[in-house]
Amino acid sequence: MTETSLTVAVIDPSRARAAILEEGLRASGVGRVVVIPDTADLMERVTALKPDVVVIHLESPSRDILEQMSGVSRQVERPVAMFVDRSDTTMMQAAVDAGISAYVVDGLRAERIKSILDIAILRFNAFARLQRELSEARGELADRKLIERAKGILMSMKGLSEDEAYKQLRRKAMNEKRKIADIARAIVTTADLLG
Amino acid sequence: MRLQLGYIPLCDAAPLIAAHELGFARAEGLDLDLTAEPSWATLRDRLALGHLDGAHMLAPLALASRLGLSGPPSDLIVPMQLSVNGNAITLSRSLWDAMAPESGAPIAVARAFARIAEERRATGRPLTLGTVHPFSCHSYQVRLFAEAGDLDPAAFRTVVVPPQYCVETLARGLVDGFCAGAPWNDVAAAAGHGRIAVLGSALTPDAPEKVLAVSERLDGAILPLIRAVARAGRWCADPENRSELIQRLARRTYLDLDAEIVGRALPGGLGEQPIAGAALDFGGAIQEPRPVDARWLLAQMRAACQIPDRSTFDDAIPTIYRADLYGAAGVGS
Repeated sequence: MTETSLTVAVIDPSRARAAILEEGLRASGVGRVVVIPDTADLMERVTALKPDVVVIHLESPSRDILEQMSGVSRQVERPVAMFVDRSDTTMMQAAVDAGISAYVVDGLRAERIKSILDIAILRFNAFARLQRELSEARGELADRKLIERAKGILMSMKGLSEDEAYKQLRRKAMNEKRKIADIARAIVTTADLLG
Repeated sequence: MRLQLGYIPLCDAAPLIAAHELGFARAEGLDLDLTAEPSWATLRDRLALGHLDGAHMLAPLALASRLGLSGPPSDLIVPMQLSVNGNAITLSRSLWDAMAPESGAPIAVARAFARIAEERRATGRPLTLGTVHPFSCHSYQVRLFAEAGDLDPAAFRTVVVPPQYCVETLARGLVDGFCAGAPWNDVAAAAGHGRIAVLGSALTPDAPEKVLAVSERLDGAILPLIRAVARAGRWCADPENRSELIQRLARRTYLDLDAEIVGRALPGGLGEQPIAGAALDFGGAIQEPRPVDARWLLAQMRAACQIPDRSTFDDAIPTIYRADLYGAAGVGS
């Protein structure tokens, strides 16, 4: 679907996440997508851009600035309102779970904003998944390094081969119903203290 | 029972923080998970959508949320008030110098502000004041400050400035002043960028500031929560506990600020004159949620054109401001 006539502003304290959403919106045919940095002069930048839709991450402290641009304030030229679809609470929940809120210019029809929100939800969830995988991968790498060190300690202290050292670690972990990395950490910590 | 409670890192979140830190919640069989929220809007949405069970909330925003004026549909109720007063209007050093008020009396300051605001409007470069959210006593206090100096509130711009940007926006001249809660006035004053000009309590004495808003779904947990927070509020109000309260609030988990600044922003502090937090009050009689306060808030919303002159919102007050629950908790006044 194409929304070539719309201008969408993206505000997110995470620049990487903002870039991923920007790319997603462009790919779906949104005419103009602008990432606005989450800084003190945000209000001026939003006012100058005159966006039809602002997608802002829930963690951004600037959300309250956008609330001020709503219809309750008489000083704004193009009042925006937080997009709340009272008929579709599942959609609302999905958006908040993904970390999204959207503000739309008064008069914009709900169907036009929904496709934008759908893209935002997909992209933000994909980003969160990537981050989770990345931190798991980092954790695995750290665990592997720990196991290597513990093996080295066992090899030099007990004169074991690498294979025997690993088997001892694994047996201990199985007997104690703990992870090999936990046993390795205990060995490394003890060696550090005693060494 | 485990409860998820949200707050904004401000001095007046103290009763919730103390309820958790000093065991008042545990004594009632409650385990509190406190989370600092990044904005009032996000706190409001998370409470409305059930991610939070309760929150430290701007009194007008709590009403607006439940009345469907702000954010997603909400089932929140207000079973107690957390604090009164504590806000102040801080003006930039250059504006204060240009105003040169005859005295520090609120009326003299308001008149001097009005004079400069009119001058600036005439030159096409109107003054800009920051506030924290459209539905806040801060916004209403800014308007009342203008009116105290016989100034049309439309003579200057009002913008929302998140607390963490207060000092920077003032230093960069993006705003000429702001109305915020403790400790932000003292943070700006200590950084040398602002002068605490008028206390919110001088404009609206003992106005409702923050409330405890909880989801109606909590049901059986509401009374123990009221008891825990009410006792914590009383503990916070006791001058004997002042230094311990400062140390705990200043911690990285909560306000993450210098203890000296937090101390200045709480009653009994010594610092810039006037002391912004001098009238901030917790505990005791102020904790009862009074319908009269809710009616006053709706009157302020009308004056700010946030709700129509003729509206039936007043009729909903007894279902939102639950003095009956506060009474049933049996914590006295």
